[in-house]
Amino acid sequence: MSRSIWFVAEHQDDQLHRGAAELAGAARAIGDETVAVVCAAPGGTVPQQVAPFVDRVLVVDDPALDPYTAGLWAQAIVALAKAQEPAAILLPHAPLGRDLAPVLAARLGAGLMTDCLELEWNEGLVGTRSVLRRKLVARERVATPIALATCQRGAFAAAPPQEAGAIEAVASSLDASTVRTRFVAMERAEVGEENITEADVVVAGGRGLGDAEKFGLVQELADVLGGVMGASRPVVDQGWVAHDRQIGSSGITVRPKLYFALGISGAVQHVVGMRESDVIVAINKDPQAPIFEYAHYGIAEDLFKVVPALIEALKA
Amino acid sequence: MRIAVCMKAVVDPQARIELDGDGNLRQEQLRYEVNEYDLYAVEEAIRLVDANGGEVTVITLGTDGAVQGLRKGLAMGAADAIHVECDPYALDPHGVALLLAAALRDGGYDLVLTGVESDDLGGSQVGVLLAEELDYAATTLVVGTSAPADGAMQVRRELEGGEHASVEVQLPAVLTIQSGINEPRYPSLKGIMAAKRKELAEKTPADLGFAEMPARRVTALGLATPPPRELARMLEGSAEDMAAELVRILREEEKSL
Ligand SMILES: Cc1cc2nc3c(=O)[nH]c(=O)nc-3n(C[C@H](O)[C@H](O)[C@H](O)COP(=O)(O)OP(=O)(O)OC[C@H]3O[C@@H](n4cnc5c(N)ncnc54)[C@H](O)[C@@H]3O)c2cc1C
Ligand SMILES: Nc1ncnc2c1ncn2[C@@H]1O[C@H](COP(=O)(O)O)[C@@H](O)[C@H]1O
Repeated sequence: MSRSIWFVAEHQDDQLHRGAAELAGAARAIGDETVAVVCAAPGGTVPQQVAPFVDRVLVVDDPALDPYTAGLWAQAIVALAKAQEPAAILLPHAPLGRDLAPVLAARLGAGLMTDCLELEWNEGLVGTRSVLRRKLVARERVATPIALATCQRGAFAAAPPQEAGAIEAVASSLDASTVRTRFVAMERAEVGEENITEADVVVAGGRGLGDAEKFGLVQELADVLGGVMGASRPVVDQGWVAHDRQIGSSGITVRPKLYFALGISGAVQHVVGMRESDVIVAINKDPQAPIFEYAHYGIAEDLFKVVPALIEALKA
Repeated sequence: MRIAVCMKAVVDPQARIELDGDGNLRQEQLRYEVNEYDLYAVEEAIRLVDANGGEVTVITLGTDGAVQGLRKGLAMGAADAIHVECDPYALDPHGVALLLAAALRDGGYDLVLTGVESDDLGGSQVGVLLAEELDYAATTLVVGTSAPADGAMQVRRELEGGEHASVEVQLPAVLTIQSGINEPRYPSLKGIMAAKRKELAEKTPADLGFAEMPARRVTALGLATPPPRELARMLEGSAEDMAAELVRILREEEKSL
């Protein structure tokens, strides 16, 4: 039987998310047919945008699907999947996938592997996931007829565009009365005075700094380097610095010439916001910290010993 | 309002992680602690009942070592606690959700809070699976709640890149709680003492109607150390030596200063 691998195309404001090509890449590598499912793009061009990456596009263009609710998107996708029985459905490990994939899993009676770094087909869908804050990887296999997986952003090579696949509009019969969440409004976090995405040097500090007072060391190094101060999420959560300093998936993305990570472990949600920097220096006392896999230069030592010495050396 | 909070004991992520010859986690050197996101969930639950009346129940599915998490939840202000005695690593997320749902189903909870994800082998799915089992509404990645009104509450969902969506969710509901929503309190000494004396409701899977463990939808094939990646050039020596060497590299080799 030919193996059809589907993915849910992510889009906003009539713009296909660039992660969709990565899901297409993951799907192409394990199946015979790659299919994008597009929910809700009334009158828009998302089906055309995704078509070059796939063999088929299934479009459920019901106005009830916009704005997104997990309940109605799940209804639409479950109906399609029950009718056409794909081997697997992939979603991004992002707010969409975290919200929607478990609903699909429950309603299709399907097993779900989340945050996959690699996928292969080996008597079923086999995924590799990083666990225990990336200190280990776990391999799993889905044991149900339809398999579900969410893919880590950036982990899969984007599919190169090819001849555009066929676009099929599918009829839907959605029951909005069963849906118990309602989108109200979108809000954007306010941006501060200093635009840290423009800076050539970013010195970012993490939870390893210990407390708000000691976090001052980060600013001190930034000042000596003529750069700006950034932070990981826990630092912002604990109110040591303002939210506009948060670097990572739920904050901002920076791409300076020089990036310092002080007392930052290197969780993927942080790394996606800084991995493109030209030169990355990590200082962390844990030699196993994953940040050293992204840094160009690493110092596995107590930052309270190294950073003051560094400040001295820079002033000299 | 009645609120249940799911708390999981997870391997302390700062602990040294090693595998034995069979590819299992080396148990003797592992430390367990409460999954960090779940502490935000407990705090949010306590604030909601403080403001709107009601009681908080904390629940964990785990071995005996997991009950210290429940004691912490009680010390923070939960009224009672349920311990489902079971090895969570013997189940897949669907199995965990089935057992938690069975333990919570008759509790009449308006809200069930979980963390966004568990910091060990978990993967950000038990909360929503639980909602589906209980036939509750669900919203994920919650960074703000409001007072319930007319059987619904407005919450703020965190999206990417600093965007938030406000969403109205009908009760009963499961919310998965994201860090930063609040600052979890430290239990008071009085709270800790009182928590020690509280009885936990102990349940086995059999008590919950499971003669056998639920069948796995996802099978575990094994753990491994990540394949070595290109590692940073690691500097060596005293702090002063490394600092001087780094400055030299950045100035002379990288020309980034
Ligand atoms: C949906 C979602 C979105 C997220 N978005 C973001 C985001 O946008 N940005 C972000 O940063 N995170 C984000 N996170 C959180 C992310 O998963 C990590 O929890 C976070 O990045 C960890 O921050 P940290 O490295 O500062 O802290 P930790 O992981 O606690 O690491 C602290 C590090 O400091 C080191 N250390 C301690 N003391 C010292 C010392 N004296 N000297 C040297 N090193 C020391 C430790 O070895 C450790 O590696 C998100 C999580 C989720 C679930
Ligand atoms: N064994 C468990 N006991 C109690 N709660 C759990 C358990 N496993 C998961 N949870 C809850 O579900 C959330 C998400 O877990 P996970 O899907 O494993 O990432 C956690 O933050 C907990 O609130």
